[in-house]
Amino acid sequence: MLWVIAACIPAIITATWFFGYGMLLNILQCGFWAALLETIVARLRRQVWNGLLRDNSALVSAILLGISLPPGSVWWLVLLGMVFALLVAKHAFGGLGHNPFNPAMCGYVMLLLSFPLQMTAWHIPMAEIRYDPLFSPLQFESLTTSIALAFPFLAPGPVADFRAVADGLVMATPLIEQKLAGNSAVFAALDSGNSLFSRSSGTGWELINLGFLLGGLLLLFRKIISWHIPVSVIAAVAVMSILFYSDKSMNVVGSTYLHLFGSATMIGAFFIATDPVSAATTPVGKIVYGLLIGGVIYWIRVWGSYLDAVAFAVLVGNFCAPLIDQLTLPRIYGHYRRTGPWK
Amino acid sequence: MNRNSMPGKPVKAIKSVRLHGGIRPPPFKTRSLRSVIMATPVPEHLIIPLIQYGGQIAAPAVAVGDKVLKGQALTRIDLEGICPIHAPTSGTIEAIEPLPVADEFTTYQPCVVLRSDGEDCWTALDALPDWDTSPPEDLISRIHRAGVIGLGGAGFPLAKKLHSLQGRKLETLIINAVECEPYISCDQALVRARTADLVSGIQILRYITGATRTVIAIGNNKTDAIDALRQHLPRTEIRLVTVPPDYPAGSEKQLIQRIVRRQLPRDALPADIGALVVNAGTAYAVFRAIVLGQPLVSRITTLCGETLATPKNFEALIGTPVFFLLELCGVDYQRLSHLLCGGSIMGHTVTDLNVPLDKTTNCLIAGSEQEFPTLPEPMECIRCGYCASACPVSLQPQLLYRHIRAGALEQAEQSGVQDCIECGACNWVCPSHIPLLQYYRYAKYELESLAARRLQSQQWQQRFELHQYRMARKHKSKPQQKPDDRIAGADAAIPQFDRNQARIEIAAAVERARARRENLIASSAQAINSHEPLTAVRKTKIENPHQ
Repeated sequence: MLWVIAACIPAIITATWFFGYGMLLNILQCGFWAALLETIVARLRRQVWNGLLRDNSALVSAILLGISLPPGSVWWLVLLGMVFALLVAKHAFGGLGHNPFNPAMCGYVMLLLSFPLQMTAWHIPMAEIRYDPLFSPLQFESLTTSIALAFPFLAPGPVADFRAVADGLVMATPLIEQKLAGNSAVFAALDSGNSLFSRSSGTGWELINLGFLLGGLLLLFRKIISWHIPVSVIAAVAVMSILFYSDKSMNVVGSTYLHLFGSATMIGAFFIATDPVSAATTPVGKIVYGLLIGGVIYWIRVWGSYLDAVAFAVLVGNFCAPLIDQLTLPRIYGHYRRTGPWK
Repeated sequence: MNRNSMPGKPVKAIKSVRLHGGIRPPPFKTRSLRSVIMATPVPEHLIIPLIQYGGQIAAPAVAVGDKVLKGQALTRIDLEGICPIHAPTSGTIEAIEPLPVADEFTTYQPCVVLRSDGEDCWTALDALPDWDTSPPEDLISRIHRAGVIGLGGAGFPLAKKLHSLQGRKLETLIINAVECEPYISCDQALVRARTADLVSGIQILRYITGATRTVIAIGNNKTDAIDALRQHLPRTEIRLVTVPPDYPAGSEKQLIQRIVRRQLPRDALPADIGALVVNAGTAYAVFRAIVLGQPLVSRITTLCGETLATPKNFEALIGTPVFFLLELCGVDYQRLSHLLCGGSIMGHTVTDLNVPLDKTTNCLIAGSEQEFPTLPEPMECIRCGYCASACPVSLQPQLLYRHIRAGALEQAEQSGVQDCIECGACNWVCPSHIPLLQYYRYAKYELESLAARRLQSQQWQQRFELHQYRMARKHKSKPQQKPDDRIAGADAAIPQFDRNQARIEIAAAVERARARRENLIASSAQAINSHEPLTAVRKTKIENPHQ
């Protein structure tokens, strides 16, 4: 578990760099609520309470949820998400190891369906508004804004409505902007050569995704996750986007590059779909599971109405995982055929 | 257990080259391999268990008070399938009674207690140096009479194994010197020190089986043993195969797959696919049995563990008490907390230091608390799948665990729990310290008793139906009989139920049972106390390391 947290660090750093302290504040908030909720649960379930976060799995869920929420999310939104993720999606099913669905994604989807306005408010404190290569989102001004957004009751004066602050610049990932506005600033930024280090959120996601890729490779290298799920998720997304891409098409479907690096594909492939508790576990099953998730990601993004496809796709995969496991049991030593229902 | 095919029935090949799973634990063998194989002195008392492979008890052929010579059969040699047991030294039979033995649960089993006379005098031996002129059947019968069983751990009688060929041609004879489990080094010590004798033992087996190909498999990290073999093998037709030092590379199924490139079908014996695996120690015992005519009265066994000052490999007489061996190695009883019989992965805990060394004891580990620390409390399974990638028979331990925890034994059976070879690799890799193997053993046991209960209820039903059928037939043939009268008469015959009388009778029965139990305890205590040196029971804390 600690390695998973360590592997998240590059992405957390890049995300904070591009989205300001709001991102870090999200994660810290989630971590705090996770510790509190785990303590309460340990008391409620009469379990041994050993340490603030017990097995650290709640901290992983907290980081994953925190990084998926819009920066500087208001405290009750974060708390609600963590309550649903940890209490309902995890402990109500029996705690760690018994949850059929990924807790972080359950929390995320619940928030997305209940609070669409707050959940799509990807305002970037100042960075996008005052587009200036010398301006850093990590300035003190940005920190106070983030805190004021997260905890309105702490702010000295009335907080400006965030929609006013980030007028028209709401977006989770460039993919959303791409869908909403067609060939907009994102493509312009991607086409220009020095796009990688401009601090507009559009291209920031590239580096965040590279951060997740780096962390994911660390997990692979440490043999904490196996290659099956990430490779098949990425392969499915890549193949689908190559197959359906057409720049002449009236439908805006996005390029392969945008699907892989301008969206949440990397965190999904390496960190969310690989959650072992809710994923398929047989070798063939893991590949089927990954392909399913990758396919559904593309499907929902391009033909669905929600753009937060990873969360939905992972939940779809979780639904199918037990069945996939049963249908893909490997051939046991000394058996002529595979075991399982069609024995 | 799963063998339901007819003997000799041809089986379909499962071609498979790639071996799945396995782990590579640290070997811990260097300490015990520092010295040469040492012959133990003869202890004053030897306890020879009569229990055989599969739980049969060999019938004793001697009586208390008999004088026996070393190598004289203690049990009847004429019984089919039951290997005879021989006197490990010359002396007097002192008792034949149940004593604790080093099986999995340290239960009492019938044993012969032999008091050594210090002479260690052999009986007349029937040596056969020119074995290649005798028919193979004669050699197999000699092997049976010499009491040679598989010394790798399971203890399957070798003669029975050789008979399983049933005249079929053997393609591959595999001599197993892999010894993949940590701590055990007796085969390595044997191979490097007694190579010539081992090779002639293999030659005898090759002659008996008529194998087209004979290989000796050994772990590729055992360089000294490999060098010794390289010196002796060129003049023979035995080929050397080195295998990676993975666990369980030395398991019969895995070894067959590696060398024959076929998996052993679940309902077949190795002989059915033209392969036979014999442990190196067994091949050496064959040499002793045929060429020297000596029955199996001693074996090479490893003594190791942190609490021993000088761990080494012993050539120990069967029946030597464990504490005698431990003291020869300078055991530190203060630190001894775990005594394992077998390797550190598959071995089981021994709680009584008076248990004797038997033919299958390949290793004794006298471990300290630091060496086998108590595992932390098991955590929940997060289905990481490390166990599935370690499982050598491609099971999905995490799914089996889930089924068993849920009580879905049938589902566990469907997912192949019966195919588990109980190697314990899953336990070794589990990051949550779940004793997975114990769950599978439990499931296997439960499934077995479930099947037995089912069979029993079927039999009862059958009996009941037959009874009903007989009753109906009787009723038809004698319709004039009045059943009511009979019942009334029976009622009168039953004495009136008296509560006080019943209470007295119950109390008397309880008293009888208690007396019987105390009597039993007293007699077994007396039996143990009658052998003064054996009863120096050391009070040491011995716990199951897996709990």
